[in-house]
Amino acid sequence: MSRVITYSLKTFLSHFQRARSLFFLTAFGVALGVASVLAIQIINLNAIGAFSAGIQAISGKADLSVVGQTSTFSEELYPLVLATKGVSAAWPLYRVDVALVGHDRFILEIIGADLFSPGHLPWDSSSKEFSGALYEKGWTAVTPDLAKQMGWSIGSSISVTSGTRRAELKIGALIDFKKISPLSSSKLAVMDISQAQALLGKSGQIHQIDIRTQPEFNLRQIIQSLQEKLGPSTQILTLQQREDQAAGLMSAFRLNLTALSFISLFVGFFLVYTSSQASLLRRRKEFGLLRSIGATRLQILTLILVEVIVLGLVGVIMGLPLGYWIAEANIEMISSTLTNVYLLEEIESLNFPFWLYILATTIGIGGAIAGSLLPALDMSRQQPQSLLNHFTLHERVNTLALPTFVAGSTFLLIIFLWFWFWGNTWKPSGFVLAVAILVSLPLLTPLVVQQFCQRGQIRTFGLGYGFKSLGARLQRCSFSVACLAIAVSMLIGLTLMISSFRRTVEIWVESSVAADVYITTESWQSKSEAILDSKTISLLTKTPGIVGVDQLRKMKVSFQNNPISLSGVNMSLFRKGSFPLLEGNREQIFNKVIGQNAVLISEPLSRKAALSVGDQLVVYGATGRVELPIAGIYYDYSSETGTAALDLSTMENNFGPGEINGISLYLDQNIDSEEMVKELKSRFIDHPLRIRSNRQLRKDIFKVFDQTFAVVRILQIISLLIAVCGITLTLLILAREQVAELALYRALGASRKQIFRIFFGQGLAMGLMGLGLGLAGGILLALILVFVINPSYFGWTIQLHWSNLSLAQQMATILISALLASLYPALRASQTPAAELSHDDF
Amino acid sequence: MISNSLFKYLLIIFVTALIMISGNSLPKWKIAQPDYQWSFPKDHWSHPKYKTEWWYFTGHLQSQKKPHRRFGYQFTFFRIGILNQTESQKSLWATKNLIMGHAAISDLQTKQHFFSEILYREIPLLGKFGLYPNPVIAWSQGPAGTDQKWTLSWNGKAFDFQVKDSRLGIGFELSTRPLKKLIFQGPNGYSLKGHTPSASSQYYSFTRLATKGKLTLKNQIFLVEGESWMDKEFGSNQLAKNQIGWDWFSLQLNDGSELMLYLLREHSGKIDFSRGTWISKLGTTRYLKPGEWTLEVQSNWHSSKSESLYPFGWIIHLPSENLKMEIVPELADQENRSHLLQNLNYWEGAVSIQNQRGEKLGRGYVELTGYGKDNRPPI
Repeated sequence: MSRVITYSLKTFLSHFQRARSLFFLTAFGVALGVASVLAIQIINLNAIGAFSAGIQAISGKADLSVVGQTSTFSEELYPLVLATKGVSAAWPLYRVDVALVGHDRFILEIIGADLFSPGHLPWDSSSKEFSGALYEKGWTAVTPDLAKQMGWSIGSSISVTSGTRRAELKIGALIDFKKISPLSSSKLAVMDISQAQALLGKSGQIHQIDIRTQPEFNLRQIIQSLQEKLGPSTQILTLQQREDQAAGLMSAFRLNLTALSFISLFVGFFLVYTSSQASLLRRRKEFGLLRSIGATRLQILTLILVEVIVLGLVGVIMGLPLGYWIAEANIEMISSTLTNVYLLEEIESLNFPFWLYILATTIGIGGAIAGSLLPALDMSRQQPQSLLNHFTLHERVNTLALPTFVAGSTFLLIIFLWFWFWGNTWKPSGFVLAVAILVSLPLLTPLVVQQFCQRGQIRTFGLGYGFKSLGARLQRCSFSVACLAIAVSMLIGLTLMISSFRRTVEIWVESSVAADVYITTESWQSKSEAILDSKTISLLTKTPGIVGVDQLRKMKVSFQNNPISLSGVNMSLFRKGSFPLLEGNREQIFNKVIGQNAVLISEPLSRKAALSVGDQLVVYGATGRVELPIAGIYYDYSSETGTAALDLSTMENNFGPGEINGISLYLDQNIDSEEMVKELKSRFIDHPLRIRSNRQLRKDIFKVFDQTFAVVRILQIISLLIAVCGITLTLLILAREQVAELALYRALGASRKQIFRIFFGQGLAMGLMGLGLGLAGGILLALILVFVINPSYFGWTIQLHWSNLSLAQQMATILISALLASLYPALRASQTPAAELSHDDF
Repeated sequence: MISNSLFKYLLIIFVTALIMISGNSLPKWKIAQPDYQWSFPKDHWSHPKYKTEWWYFTGHLQSQKKPHRRFGYQFTFFRIGILNQTESQKSLWATKNLIMGHAAISDLQTKQHFFSEILYREIPLLGKFGLYPNPVIAWSQGPAGTDQKWTLSWNGKAFDFQVKDSRLGIGFELSTRPLKKLIFQGPNGYSLKGHTPSASSQYYSFTRLATKGKLTLKNQIFLVEGESWMDKEFGSNQLAKNQIGWDWFSLQLNDGSELMLYLLREHSGKIDFSRGTWISKLGTTRYLKPGEWTLEVQSNWHSSKSESLYPFGWIIHLPSENLKMEIVPELADQENRSHLLQNLNYWEGAVSIQNQRGEKLGRGYVELTGYGKDNRPPI
């Protein structure tokens, strides 16, 4: 066996020199497949990692955390925690997001901790710099990274705002959270809890109590005791449960990204298959000779696999940095999705653990072996005599075209029937359908290619001839066409889905974002609780030209042990607009919401929790369990986890009084909203307000939308690139296979231009066929994404929208890509003298 | 016996320093004065204008039921001043003091020592120093995992206090009654701790308190009685740079007299400053200066847990009272090792007193600090 490996490695270089282009194209395809899977895994890992790092940096020494069903809970529960049997130590935390004055949306997360609670906090607070934590007003410790970035040093003063409150902070010390948890945010800051409450928050409330337990006690018993003591206003979670909660929130997002990344890998698989087969065919005689002189089948197989492993390794080496680069380039956009849609921590830096290297290597080498296994097995099974004879592969595939088509169609039909009658209630059934489409496409391709190419009439010795001749090389081009078709399916399917989604959101925004001006505070984020104080509201609303004002009170409550957001608004203002309802009589529904303590729930919440009109929404707030009858379900695309809306008075009755987080203004018809925004900004220049016109808010919503799908677009491009590699590869192989034929044409007087056109025609034909098949597959895929996967995983109804323009753009891109892909092989074929075409240098 | 005054004093400063209240920008604390105007019982309550303050109880107890079990105990509340200004903050967590409590029981039969502690902000949620004439002088939340508060209150004649630590299964609820009147440690309760007048504290003691109540050990409750020594001290000054620790003795003799001694040591082990008080059985006091007594260490005890090497056993010679006595620790490991504050280890233990013939003369408590590596208070 070792002799075989030695032979393989010795001959590898000569094979490589004879087919460099082919090798690199294949390796590049593998690299792209590896990169796409790797990039998504890095993103997924670090999305959760950022949240976990935040937990570790702040609660690293804790076994349990007490968190509120709403954002905060009474600090009077703290002594009860301390007095619970089995608790070894407990320390309170107050958390508040603040905006840095003079910087656009630069948010710091302040951790208010009991800095005099020795030994429990994960960071060392015994250094001299901590001396002023209690008595120096505004004393704050920041991370060294942030201090460096902002040019701060100990003693620097900074202005921050929390809601409409402004505070002057003094940098008192540096805490390097990265030493505790490398992925933790540089935007964490620490204050003493008394200062955090007094300067930036509210007294009497805390966000969290971290607990260390006595090892001799059973954790479950401690949790049970705590639950009994603390009542229903809090949840007691292990650190793992907190991480799992975050992971659960974005599981659908992660799953879908992973699935898409594997499509790229699947496309890459076809590329390897095509390439391997071409390479092996070229070496048939060599294998025949080896078999004749005594080489066994296993030795031949090993010989082939060693070369494939080398190919895979090269792909991995190229794919690793590429995957990392893709992930890195998308951090900011993914971060934006995490903070805006999933209310989680932003990703600041990437962790690349060792297992990801293993994963990349496995995917690259495994993919290459999988792609070449069939041709390799086929080759090793051949008798020496057969290998030395002329090979009749094309003819064989020609005869298999119809059976594979029938097999593919039947398979597809069976899967769709299964879905229709049985599978549609099973959550992952959408993925089964999608996989079925992608698997059946290659089976349908040979017959389509055969029929397509045979129907054309040859009028010229150029494009038409190239077109027609493709049908005769079915084996080779079928895989490239299938490869392209899968990539196109993904491209078209996702484009249709995204454009439909965007259009749906546009319609939703049209009816939901109805006010003229929206005002929140600089420090307000979806996950924070920044307060717009009543004095500022009163001043704002006195501005001339305002005819109506709505107030928004956001609060977090717990629903089925997960946080959901409640929006308290003046529902009487929305009788006719906003909150587009799925069904029911709007007036009757709003009568219930305004007068009868009922709520509207968002569509994702309804779908995920199987809640319908008439059911009770059972949530846990600061006062414990609250049951609210559901009057209606409204379309909402702002949160995947679900949300509910209720009248401000209902919110106050059930959850107690609370502060307002934002207001929206309705202007006199004659007043331009942009002008009003300008006026308000100048009038309230000293107030930390975020004032946006209706137009600006919409723009911001779509910015978040586009950021969310940015990574999907990159995966689309990767798949297309792999497919384009496939076309180039196929044409290079065809050029090699047609050496004698082309030499004859040249000898008979065919010009280089004509040869170029033949190849160009073949590229065009493959592009068109890939496009046709991909279009069909893409439309099916879009339907599955829109009507099956999205509702079941995200809970959103998406109106299917045919964006002719984007479709046309996509198709044009694909065709142009196919033509560009055929340029190089066509040029190579046409510019090389006929006599030299017998060389194997591709 | 005396107040661990020194010890406590330094300990508190140590804690204060440890948590880094360097206080450069703080208003000045009041310092001890020789002419302090005492007012009892009000002065049993806290004095927030001074940086540090403590109420220190040590004693020997015996179970009432036969077979008698003997116990030594220590209970201390410390007030550690952080802020000497009255800035109102909109937070209940804003505080001017920390409250620290230490409690220990030495089981003299099984030769076991138990130590418990608390350290909280002085805030309504976690602990407060009371205001005269409310009988509660101080209270705090118990140690984590314990559902009972630690309290110290005035019962009209002396002090009641209760301590519990569920995790260790220890606690006591004791009530005291003075057997002898309150005495000042130093003229008018002005106790010097160094060579400069500012290194001082206001210091008084109840040297003999009849003590009765319940003691819990390993969750077994004993009805106990015995005698205690109480020290109360407040001041604002720090240990001199050349001082590394101290030895403190509070000794109750069977004839009704008492002796308090403290010795502050330098790095080299040399005694830098020392004072003492002789209290006759009638309660009259005589303040002792160096040279009026001698103290000789008999041997050493090594703590494998803190790696500290403590003196172990002493001979004290007080010629003026014609007294030569041997101080014998009741058990070796009476080291208090803090889990809340790093490097806070000290030996605080019950001792018996005997003459050279081995006849028992009395009993007491000894406190030894600054003996381990890095155990010197960073003050």
